[in-house]
Amino acid sequence: MNLLPIYYRTQFTGLLRSPAFVAAVVALPSLIFLFVSGTARGDNNAIFASFTVFAALSVAFFQFGVGIAQDRDTPWERYRRVLPASALMPFAANVLVALTFAAISVGLLAIVASLTLPLTITWWNAARLALALVGGAIPMALLGIAIGYWVSARAALAVANVLYLALSFGGGIFVPPRALPGWLDAISTWLPTRRIVELAWAAVAGRPLQMEHWLLLAAYAVILAALALWGYRRDEGNRYS
Amino acid sequence: MTQPAAELIAVHKSYGAIRALEGVSLSLAQGEILALLGPNGAGKSTAVSLLTGLRPPDSGTVRLFGADPRQPATRAAIGVTPQDSGFPLGLTVAEVTRFVCRHYPNGEAPEALLDRFGLTALAKRRGGALSGGQRRMLSVALAFAGKPRAVFLDEPTTGIDIDVRRRLWDAVRAYRAQGGAVLLTTHYLEEADQLADRVAVIGHGRVIADGTTAAIRAQVGLRRVRLRTSEPLAVGPVARQSLEDGVHTLYTADSDALVRTLVTSGIAFHDLEILPATLEDAFLALTVRPGAAS
Repeated sequence: MNLLPIYYRTQFTGLLRSPAFVAAVVALPSLIFLFVSGTARGDNNAIFASFTVFAALSVAFFQFGVGIAQDRDTPWERYRRVLPASALMPFAANVLVALTFAAISVGLLAIVASLTLPLTITWWNAARLALALVGGAIPMALLGIAIGYWVSARAALAVANVLYLALSFGGGIFVPPRALPGWLDAISTWLPTRRIVELAWAAVAGRPLQMEHWLLLAAYAVILAALALWGYRRDEGNRYS
Repeated sequence: MTQPAAELIAVHKSYGAIRALEGVSLSLAQGEILALLGPNGAGKSTAVSLLTGLRPPDSGTVRLFGADPRQPATRAAIGVTPQDSGFPLGLTVAEVTRFVCRHYPNGEAPEALLDRFGLTALAKRRGGALSGGQRRMLSVALAFAGKPRAVFLDEPTTGIDIDVRRRLWDAVRAYRAQGGAVLLTTHYLEEADQLADRVAVIGHGRVIADGTTAAIRAQVGLRRVRLRTSEPLAVGPVARQSLEDGVHTLYTADSDALVRTLVTSGIAFHDLEILPATLEDAFLALTVRPGAAS
């Protein structure tokens, strides 16, 4: 009996009816893009690519980070765990729902961007951009999961927002790295967000997606997966019910 | 002997420094209603969370129909109510019910389940828009979603009207009559008294009493002598006494001796009654004692 469709549908519907989530994940990236793109100077394709990263990361921080922190000790979550389903089922559905929201958020951004900026991105390069976003979102989703298990429900929104904005800014999403202060550019090089943005820029410009970026992102993924798993185990052991 | 619906055998479970269960053995037979009683923090919820596969025990054995409740397939035979009926705010009653029903290969149709518990009119209501009683009714209904062989009802009638409560009790009795097993936790001792075949009392992580409701009451060995009088009342032998609305209640191990003393003392009393101890009295006697001694 395949439960994935019903889990997917239930989780998607629940999030879709949460105004705070839809605003943060779907509307905000396009809105900020509208404010910024009018004044930004430079390669339009690259500006668009930066914001697709911003849009994709919102899902990692808000659906995984804030979502897990708020849900993990609710009565409903506890009830769901006694239903006869594999523990992996909610997780698998969560990943698929995240991909859906990321696609909606990036898709909306693409519509807004193509109406306001002259973009010249081939379908092939758009597909490579999608690959960079999905690949780059993996370590960021793991960071989100780690936040979800390490941070309390009350603090999660603040922590997720601060990390989301700091990593986006530091990664060169709003301001190109060469315009960052020297010390920040030095840090920026090592941030996962910077590497995702570099991949996104390379994708839309038709340049090769360099292995160096993937390797650093993979290293982040391993560390953050360990942190997330540690947080999950700690949470399991702590909970008193 | 038929296989028990659920059992704990010599189970220990700790959370950090807190020892929630210390060697608990408990068994729920098929077609039986067992009430699990105990003060908050005594280990009731832990026992239920182990039986429903939410956690593994530190040591000992937990079985549902002879199988491991940590395996999802084992849990297909049971139904559970959540203790707090915090349903997702954004989902409707129909959506939540469909989600739960879909987990069981031979489960109820969601519409039929809602109908059976009188919830059809609320099907389109969101979880956030239900009253406390409606949420409770929905959570009890969900326990029966999978046509279970055993159900775990956690505080099933807390916060619902008396007539709805009676209807629910009838539903539980009808389920038992068809061979279903019920494990019930409740704060209402009257509920346990009315509904349960057997009562187990947990205190300080151990089973301190396990037997039929009558046996538990008798175990305390006290009777209640009630009477009205306007005079000061100091007669024995009395374990404890209370005065409410002009009615004195005296708890005694020997009601015959007490009545003889009353009569010879010459006190003017009326409305004399001699009653067995209630389950609540028994419960208090059983659970307060260890605390009082320390």
